[in-house]
Amino acid sequence: MAEALATDILNHLNSGVIVVDEALVIRYWNRFLQIHSGRGQADILGKPLFEAFPELPKAALSRKLQGVLQLGTPTFSSWEQRRHLFLLPHSRPITTDSEYMAQNVSFMPLHQDGGKKVTHVAIIIDDATDVCYFQQQLNTTMAALEQSSRTDGLTQVANRRYWEERLRTEFCRCQRSSAAMSLILFDLDKFKLLNDGYGHQAGDYVLFTTAGLIKQTLRTADLIGRYGGEEFGVLLPDTPIQAAALVAERLRALIEEHRFIYEGQLLPVTISLGVAELRADVPSHEKLVTRADEALYFSKHAGRNRYTCAPVSEVAVAHA
Amino acid sequence: MSSQTITEDQRDCLQELINVSMGQASDKLARYLGTFVEIQVPAIALVGTAEITGLLAGNYNDEAVSLVSQGFSGSEGIRGEALLIYSKINADGIAELLGYTDDEVTHTEQLTDISSILTTTFLEGFAEQLETSFSYSAPRVVMLGERKLAEHLQERSFNWEYALKVKISYKVVDHSFNCDMVLLVPGSALETLKAVIDRILAEF
Repeated sequence: MAEALATDILNHLNSGVIVVDEALVIRYWNRFLQIHSGRGQADILGKPLFEAFPELPKAALSRKLQGVLQLGTPTFSSWEQRRHLFLLPHSRPITTDSEYMAQNVSFMPLHQDGGKKVTHVAIIIDDATDVCYFQQQLNTTMAALEQSSRTDGLTQVANRRYWEERLRTEFCRCQRSSAAMSLILFDLDKFKLLNDGYGHQAGDYVLFTTAGLIKQTLRTADLIGRYGGEEFGVLLPDTPIQAAALVAERLRALIEEHRFIYEGQLLPVTISLGVAELRADVPSHEKLVTRADEALYFSKHAGRNRYTCAPVSEVAVAHA
Repeated sequence: MSSQTITEDQRDCLQELINVSMGQASDKLARYLGTFVEIQVPAIALVGTAEITGLLAGNYNDEAVSLVSQGFSGSEGIRGEALLIYSKINADGIAELLGYTDDEVTHTEQLTDISSILTTTFLEGFAEQLETSFSYSAPRVVMLGERKLAEHLQERSFNWEYALKVKISYKVVDHSFNCDMVLLVPGSALETLKAVIDRILAEF
């Protein structure tokens, strides 16, 4: 009676159950597996496990099963490490990206007749497709959230918080490894006049377009961020100041030559830049920003639409 | 309100049960892994929720560690969580130890496999000493080579006030990996454990 009941329960379980003996020959499988694998009894019962299911990773799984038999302890396989062991189709073919059931699999030692020796291993297969699906959705959402928390809403380049975080990291890395590193700060010339003369929407258009144009010309390791209002920063890791000066000139020319047309009007747009590099006398990333800012200030006072390399002497600034 | 102490007799008895289980585990592991596994005498202590993070994280300072958790539960309400903390992992060493020769097993899977083996071989013996048997949850990698042990422990909301902490250090001689296993048995389950220990003590 109890045995018939147990068999009945096993066949109603929403999990797959396979029992193998010490020689890893299949001695039992329940209805869940028959249904999901679509295979007949004759294909499975009495067949070696790896013959009946050739998709299984033989070497690793043999060793796991050996452990269960020898140590008498259970072992597990999680969908997070292996999406599936057995190739079984699942019941959500539309909503998931994999055609196979994600699985959590447990391998349990069985002792026959209450003896100490492990004679069989029960392999229990649980469908983790839903968990897997929701976890993937969560990951995608988290990635999108992280992206948006780093991005400036108007210009779609890094926001100040993220840009400064990266500046700090890169500064420490380059300082530690004695690598070169440069920083460009730039600012749109006479932006207030542009806003007043053509309207704030024209101003927004200039900010958005400038950031986009510059972002396209940078290398992947470089990072442009909106520092504030009409001021931007460009991080140039592993770049000495001579190379950074070339980049600054290229950016200046790019913006000067671009035809900014808003509602049929050609807008006068140029930028002024300041370049600074990591040196022994620049002890912090804040100081590096100050240096670049001083150089930018010099460019402004020397007539705009130009770049200046730090350090700038106080005399030079006074006379600019 | 349950008492937050264990008597000297209870502690001695527990120590002995753990020593026997460790001896068995060490023997089984040596045969299965084909190498000598050094297991140090365990340290048993009652700890409060507030201290646990400091106690565990303090040992590793700023080291990059990996953390694997596996739950266990037996009859009469004995249950707990085994935390395995690995420092200085030699990934190739673990693969070799487990006999995984090809690339088909990821680092995370190796870590859960070795963790499961270390935890359950010991706990099977321990359950036997307590005249019960344990069921186990699948081991879960909580951290993989990170320096934020304290943060991770703080995030795990321990829903008990005090627990029995058993710390066991494993050293696998040939393969240069060290691992501390910390068994945490929360307050309510500890009462049961103490009752079982008292029963064993009475039998002597």
